[in-house]
Amino acid sequence: MAFDVLFNQFMSGIARAAILFLVASGLSLTFGVLRVLNFAHGSLYMLGAFLTYSIWKFLLIPSLGFYLALILASLIMGAIGLLIEWLLLRRIYSRGWPEQLLATYAIILLITDLVKWGWGGEFLSIPRPEPFTGAVSMFGFPFPSYNFFIILLGLGLVFFLWWLVYRTRLGDIIRAAATDREMVSALGIPIPWLFTWIFVLGALIAGMSGAVAAPFGAIRLGMDVEIIIECFAVVVIGGMGSLPGTLLGSFIIGEVYSFGIMYKPELALAFIFIVMAIVLIIRPWGFFGRPER
Amino acid sequence: MKSNPKKNKTSLKKYWWVALLLAAAVAAPFFISEFYLTIFGEALIMSLLALSFNLLFGYMGQLSFGQAAFYGISGYTVAMLITKAHFNFWLSLGAGVVVAAALGLIIGFFCVRLRGIYFSILTLAFAQLIYFVIYKWHDFTGGDDGIQGVYPPDFLNSSIHYYFFILIVFILATFILWRIVNSPFGYTLKSMRENSERTEFLGISIAKYQLTAFVIAAAYAGLAGALWAPFYRSMAPSALFWLKSAEPVNAAILGGPSLFFGPIFGMFIMTFFHAWVLAYTVFWAFIMGILILIVIFLLPGGMLGFVQEKIKERRENRNPTTGIN
Repeated sequence: MAFDVLFNQFMSGIARAAILFLVASGLSLTFGVLRVLNFAHGSLYMLGAFLTYSIWKFLLIPSLGFYLALILASLIMGAIGLLIEWLLLRRIYSRGWPEQLLATYAIILLITDLVKWGWGGEFLSIPRPEPFTGAVSMFGFPFPSYNFFIILLGLGLVFFLWWLVYRTRLGDIIRAAATDREMVSALGIPIPWLFTWIFVLGALIAGMSGAVAAPFGAIRLGMDVEIIIECFAVVVIGGMGSLPGTLLGSFIIGEVYSFGIMYKPELALAFIFIVMAIVLIIRPWGFFGRPER
Repeated sequence: MKSNPKKNKTSLKKYWWVALLLAAAVAAPFFISEFYLTIFGEALIMSLLALSFNLLFGYMGQLSFGQAAFYGISGYTVAMLITKAHFNFWLSLGAGVVVAAALGLIIGFFCVRLRGIYFSILTLAFAQLIYFVIYKWHDFTGGDDGIQGVYPPDFLNSSIHYYFFILIVFILATFILWRIVNSPFGYTLKSMRENSERTEFLGISIAKYQLTAFVIAAAYAGLAGALWAPFYRSMAPSALFWLKSAEPVNAAILGGPSLFFGPIFGMFIMTFFHAWVLAYTVFWAFIMGILILIVIFLLPGGMLGFVQEKIKERRENRNPTTGIN
């Protein structure tokens, strides 16, 4: 196969990996600190996309409107995350993980029907914002320039999270809490406070990823379920709660999907689960994770 | 029901309500409308799926998020054997269960090495893999068109007859599972749930026991799927989707996973509630979500667990001298 075709496929894989990283990093961050696998993370992403659509439509500013909507939708999702943590999650940290999983599953059901009720069932879309409307030619193939925006944002988030986790005091606390929660608490750091803000940050990132994905594909019901399962694959491969792991996982899943589509389009998603199953069997805690117990 | 000679009278007396419910189930077709009879049948079939899930969750302590794979693969086996190969009805049902159990053996082989959330995710991954294969393999499975025209033999064609068929299979299967979980095998599963390390020190091979339980659970999910295809006259790929796998999880949590009859109770509540709510609103998922949250927050042992607790409390209040059980 010609190099230019492969390169083009590789680049679309990178764009997909960037979206996956945006969503999965929030999931991984919450799991790393709270030890709660947030099933509803994809639903926060979906709600973010729908909110972006409505705000963009309400603002009616041609070029700037999308970016404004992106910021507003992210902030609103952060607030919704605060509400969810405050009303529900905080009350079940002491319970077993199956109940925590079920509680976040219940949130999926709530958000699905809220979206159905608020926006109806039809597909919505937002045009790509300036200056990312066109396509760039790469080895003769048109490559949507909006993909560069996604990749840039993904890289930006990588650096932001890296700075947050490895270069700030909050990051020290985050890493300490992921290792030994009781010890952190004994040192006088209010764990509930930490949990709340980590969950809010996760929800904010989920909302932002939804906003970014809005002009990328159709905004529709069901986008939550699609992305969350792929994100599970990402965090499982990389190791749950690990930032470099999430980056590697996103890259692998993005590329597997992209080349899978080229090889056998109808089985592209099946390939993802095969890769995930293989990693889980050989190394259940993923490439960068730690074995439990 | 056959009585166990080792058990004394009081332990059988405890289950008077089972006999009462059975009598109600037998009498039901003569009192309720055809619509509710269908719902009743559906609840019975889905209860088998819930029991399948809870053998792994309630007894073994492993939360499977992929039971729909076994349920769906068996339903598809039955549907395709009947519509395409014009196979004998009974052999088709048997084949469905066998295929589900065989799949359970393959998937279980990999899954039983994992614990906790990793077990859940791996079962989910395998189930989604099978879902995508069935969904995309249009030439063989019909893809998203599904398979229509799965008819049972003539004498089971009427809804009342098929209902009784389901009821008989349900009673037999439930009784067998009851005997399984109360056998040494069942107690071994429970001990693994409580402390797998200690169980291993007793010389018990955890992987072997868990795999056996996994295959039994797959066969039960397969039985539910095999009954479903001729009941609903068709099969669609949504039967394998992960949202289907979530149904038995919800049922067990709602009813009470620590009780044998909890998942059945939960599934009946869910199925009837679903049918009833849909008459008023399309926002079923929202109401279900609220219901799950209420049970998790207010009734941690599930609905049936809550009822049992209350009954126990009342009994203890009546004769406080027998406080120790």
